[in-house]
Amino acid sequence: MKYVIRFSPVFIFLLLLNTQNAYAYLDPGTGSYILQILIASLLGAAFAVKIFWQKITTSLKKIFSKNAGEQTNDPE
Amino acid sequence: MTLNDKQSGSFRDPSGFLFFRDGLLYRQVNTYYKENYDFLIGSGLYDKLVKENLLIPHEEADPDYALSGQAYKVIKPDRVPFISYPYEWCFSQLKDAALTTLKIQKIALDYGMSLKDCSAYNIQFYNGKPVFIDTLSFEKYKEGEPWVAYRQFCQHFLAPLALMKYKDVRLNQLFRIYIDGVPLDLAASLLPFRTRFSFSLLSHIHIHAKSQKHYADKAVKPVHRQVKKFALLGLVDNLQTAVNKITWKAAGTEWGDYYQDTNYSSSAQRHKMEIIKTCIEKYKPRNVWDLGANNGFFSRIASDSDIPTIAFDIDPVAVELDYLECRQKKETQLLPLLLDLTNPSPGIGWKNKERMSFIERGPADMVMALALIHHLAISNNVPLINIAEFFHNTCKTLIIEFVPKNDSQVQRLLATREDIFPHYTQQDFEKNFSGYFDILESHSINESERTLYLLQRKAI
Repeated sequence: MKYVIRFSPVFIFLLLLNTQNAYAYLDPGTGSYILQILIASLLGAAFAVKIFWQKITTSLKKIFSKNAGEQTNDPE
Repeated sequence: MTLNDKQSGSFRDPSGFLFFRDGLLYRQVNTYYKENYDFLIGSGLYDKLVKENLLIPHEEADPDYALSGQAYKVIKPDRVPFISYPYEWCFSQLKDAALTTLKIQKIALDYGMSLKDCSAYNIQFYNGKPVFIDTLSFEKYKEGEPWVAYRQFCQHFLAPLALMKYKDVRLNQLFRIYIDGVPLDLAASLLPFRTRFSFSLLSHIHIHAKSQKHYADKAVKPVHRQVKKFALLGLVDNLQTAVNKITWKAAGTEWGDYYQDTNYSSSAQRHKMEIIKTCIEKYKPRNVWDLGANNGFFSRIASDSDIPTIAFDIDPVAVELDYLECRQKKETQLLPLLLDLTNPSPGIGWKNKERMSFIERGPADMVMALALIHHLAISNNVPLINIAEFFHNTCKTLIIEFVPKNDSQVQRLLATREDIFPHYTQQDFEKNFSGYFDILESHSINESERTLYLLQRKAI
C-alpha cells in the first residue's frame, strides 16, 4: 500500500503535465483513457527493447548454428 | 417479420444486430458500419482471421432479409451450436479466450483495424476452440487513437483471471453479477498485496482502478498526447505477457479425483459404458448434455461418436481437467462447462434477456444424468417429482442412473444427516418419472445396486 501511495503523487503530477485542451467527451472512462496514454509509451519502449533483443538472439543463434553445422559437415 | 425476431442480447451496437429468420441466424450490418465492414473484408483481415480459426465465418445473405431500413448488408454467420458464458468457463477457457482476443487485436492492428470492444461474451467455443463471434467489433484504426477496449479487456479478462489465480478460482462467478466484467476497484481490493509487485497487475489493475477513481468525479481537460501504434502494440504485448503469466493448477476439490474414489468395480464401469454406448448408437441424438459430467469420462462416449456434447459440472477442477484433456486431444465435439444444477445460470442483463438462462438454451436431444440423482434428491432436498419435471423441460430423451439408498455413496450422504427421504425409492422414482417420460429401457448395472434408465419425454 505504501508503494502505491508513494507512487500516486508522481502519477497525478504526470497526468497534470499532460492535460492541455478541453474536449466535450472522453471515452473509454477518463481514468482508463489517461492511464493508457501514460503506460502505453512506457510499454512501447519496453516492446522496442524486446523486439531488438529478440533480433539479436535470433541472429546469434543463426550464426552459432551455422558454425556448428559447418563443423559437423567438415569431412576431416 | 417483427422486432421480436431480434436476438435479445444484440441491441447496444449501432453497427448492426443479430436476428432469426425461419430458425436461421443472421446479422444485419447497418449503413453506420459500412465503411468499417468494407475495410474488414477489403483489407484481407476477415480472410486472415477466418483462415486462422479466430473469427466466425459468414456468408452474405439476401439483403431483402434485412429487418430495418438502416441495413447495408445481411450476413449469415456459422451457427455456434451452444452459446456459453464466461461464468460457465473454467480458468483455462477464460485464459484462452483472453489470449485469442489479444491475438486478434494484434492481427487487426497489422491490417489497420482495431477491436472496439473486448467483451468476453464475444468469444464462443466452436469446434473446440475459442472463436470471436462479433464480426462488427472491428473499426478502422486511426493513428494516435488509444485502444478504446483497453478498460473492457482488463475488466473481462485480466481482473477475473488474476482473482481466480491469486484469490479463489470460483471468483469467475462475479461475471454473473457484473455483466461488463469485474469492476477494477473491486478486483484491486480483493487481490492480495503481493500482486502489486507484478508490474502488469500493478499498472493494469491497481493503478488503473486508482486512476478511474481519481477521475470519476472530475471534469478533466482531456489530453492531447497520442498513443503511437508501436506503443499500442507494446500495450497489447504486455497484456499478452501478463495473461500468459497467470497460471492455475487444478487440484484440491472433492470432485477432482472422483473416478479414483467411486464405488464402481471396473466390470460395473465397463457395463455402464456399454449400456450408454448402445443407447447412443440406437437413438442417435443430435446433441447430448451430460449433467454432472465430472471430467467428461462418459461424455466422451457421445462426443467420440461425433455428437456435439456439453459436459456440465459444478466443480471447477473437474471442468478444468476436462477442458485441458479436450485441448490436448484436439477434441472438437466436447465442450466442458461449469454449472451448478441446483442454481443454474439465470437470464441476466437488460430485461433479464441479454444472456440466456440454462433452460432457455435447451432442450437437448439427449441428457445424461449419471450418478447425479442422489445429489439432487438427498443433498439438495429436491423431491423426485420436481427432478422429473426439470428433466422434462431440459431434454427429449434421458439416460438416468438411479442410485438407491443402500448404495455406499448415498449412505455417505446420509451419514451425517437425518434420513428424511422415505420416498427416495426405485418404485417412487419410476412412478414420478412416468408422469413425464415413457420408460423405454432399464438395465441393472452389473456388480452394483444401480439401474440405468432410458426415458423418452411425454408430450404433456
